[in-house]
Amino acid sequence: MKPKIGIYGFSGCWGEQIVILNCEDQLLDIVGAVDIVDFLGGSSVNDTTSRLLIAFVEGSIANAREETALRKVRERSDLLIALGSCACFGGIAAMDARAPRPEVIQQVYGKNGPAKSWDIGTHRPLSDFVKVDLSIPGCPIEKTEFLRAVSSLLNGDLPLLATYPVCLECKMLEYECLLLKRELPCAGPVTLAGCGARCPGYNIACVGCRGPVDEANMSSLEAILEQKKFSKDEIKRKLRTFAAPVLDKAENRG
Amino acid sequence: MTRTISVNHLTRVEGHGGITVVVDGNDVSKVNLDIFEGIRLFEGLVRGRSIGDIPQIVSRICAICSTNHVITCLHALENALGVKATKQTRKLRDLAFHGANIESHALHVFVLDLPDLLGHSSVISLAGVIPEAVKVALRLKKLGNAIQEVVGGRAVHPINHVIGGFGRVPSTDELVALRNQVRAGIGDCEQALAVLRTVPIPEFVNAPIRCAAVVPEDDAFFFGNEMGILENGKLTKIPVRDYRKFTNEFMVPHSHAKHSQYNGQSYMVGALPRLTLNGDRITGMARKAWEELNFKTPSSNIIMNNVAQAIEMIFSVEQSLRILDDMLDAGVAQEAPVSYQAHACSGAAATDVPRGTLFHSYEIDSDSRIAAADVITPTAQNLNNAEDQLRATVTQGLKAGASDSDLELRLAMVARAYDPCISCSVHVVRV
Repeated sequence: MKPKIGIYGFSGCWGEQIVILNCEDQLLDIVGAVDIVDFLGGSSVNDTTSRLLIAFVEGSIANAREETALRKVRERSDLLIALGSCACFGGIAAMDARAPRPEVIQQVYGKNGPAKSWDIGTHRPLSDFVKVDLSIPGCPIEKTEFLRAVSSLLNGDLPLLATYPVCLECKMLEYECLLLKRELPCAGPVTLAGCGARCPGYNIACVGCRGPVDEANMSSLEAILEQKKFSKDEIKRKLRTFAAPVLDKAENRG
Repeated sequence: MTRTISVNHLTRVEGHGGITVVVDGNDVSKVNLDIFEGIRLFEGLVRGRSIGDIPQIVSRICAICSTNHVITCLHALENALGVKATKQTRKLRDLAFHGANIESHALHVFVLDLPDLLGHSSVISLAGVIPEAVKVALRLKKLGNAIQEVVGGRAVHPINHVIGGFGRVPSTDELVALRNQVRAGIGDCEQALAVLRTVPIPEFVNAPIRCAAVVPEDDAFFFGNEMGILENGKLTKIPVRDYRKFTNEFMVPHSHAKHSQYNGQSYMVGALPRLTLNGDRITGMARKAWEELNFKTPSSNIIMNNVAQAIEMIFSVEQSLRILDDMLDAGVAQEAPVSYQAHACSGAAATDVPRGTLFHSYEIDSDSRIAAADVITPTAQNLNNAEDQLRATVTQGLKAGASDSDLELRLAMVARAYDPCISCSVHVVRV
């Protein structure tokens, strides 16, 4: 019998599910190797109870409804894989706003505010609620990393993902340094690799969409950027665009 | 006695939503398209951020429309700043829009919608019956992604689009290779059309659709400075800078996304309205598809939006070839982005994206930071119209003696026909 898997999306842009569907050359092979039994985005008939080998979960958790659904997925799955930066780190919706949150909600919904019945929580990574067996970051995830992970998992193994920064990939590709040579606010030194330094390849500074590399030296990068005349507020907000909740945790530990 | 017909969780749509209809005898007393996707407050989050950061942030409103959000954002920022992008940049952005249109329509028509029309629960079970058709659809979807990737550096959340142009203009070699892929895509369109000719289009709902779309000002089909709305055969045009007079957003308790009305009534944006307003531009194989698929405008069958998408998908493959031929004939210039002076300003832009008209509007302060932002998505504009169509579906279904389970399926099919993008609609907007 083919292993059963489920694909789930919580609050987010659907980017990871789109990347999975964008594996056009491999999609029919994947469907041949596994039984996708629960996938609201792709099928109107879903098995919501049987045991799963793997649950792929994208999106952040922003309300009680999502938290309950996530716990249910965890209970029925051998492996729970967080896909994308929202699931891994809270993602873009968890970034710092300039104003306090109640004020931001009012900016968006007006003085009368949203309906009382709405549950408007902050956006949290999956690991704040359940055990996560593997995190594949990215905004969106890279196809190659997803496919490698699927084939490893189906062979009873965990995939090896990069543990070094984008900066290293960028150097190996011999791109000109955007931070030092062009004075651009590049997050490459503190961001987890795996994208092949995609943005620097287009002369675009890394925005940190893959989240922080382990033991990222944030203060050193902040000091360099301050020397380059970026304001403290701007540096903070830039570097905290995709992973504010986990950076807060690292700071509290640190 | 009242009873409720509901679709608890819409499937094969992007995001989280449901439908609740309350029926009293043979009268429909309530229709709600419930949107319960988590709220992400983008317009609040971008305040105070440097304008250069904004395209990458608003891209994350929605993955499948990310190229469209990024370019619409750039048009609005450039309108504000007085930046005039070069002809080459406009062509490349137009090309990226056609790529997005191919990808999005191939996904919706074949992967999300065709299962309905052929009585399947998913494209996976469909692939067991008509594998060749599914492979053709996947190849076209891949072509749409390839176009977006060559221009934007990534298919989902593109990185290469910046204010005034590109981080790096695609090379001649990249565009030549892309043109070869597009040429192969023309053959795939022929095959896709052969499949679509065999698909029956249900006619269980008949209700007039008030159509609105951007009025194209040159050969870029999706770009323009005016919004058009067709009423009783008469086209009214509204300048994009006055878009709020057009969308008139308001809140409803059952939806995390706002609703829109023009002159007190709902309207629809999307492929069907575009072809209703701008169908005279459809030529070539797309015109042949129009005729062979018995497409007619105006239409009062919302399910025809799927057919309109199929025609547009073919149109976009043909247009991509035209643009690439033009660009390669003229020669590709490795030009730097147009520069700009920081100053306090504001600007808006509208484009037509796969699901309909998208508005972005920004106020910028003298330090080149965002003072205010407003994004109105096609799905949010369509919600009110979708509720009207859902109401008609139930009213007409009850009259024809349809069972509740039939009605549930029809409701889901009508909702899916709009190709709703719920993550987009709940990015959430400033009042």
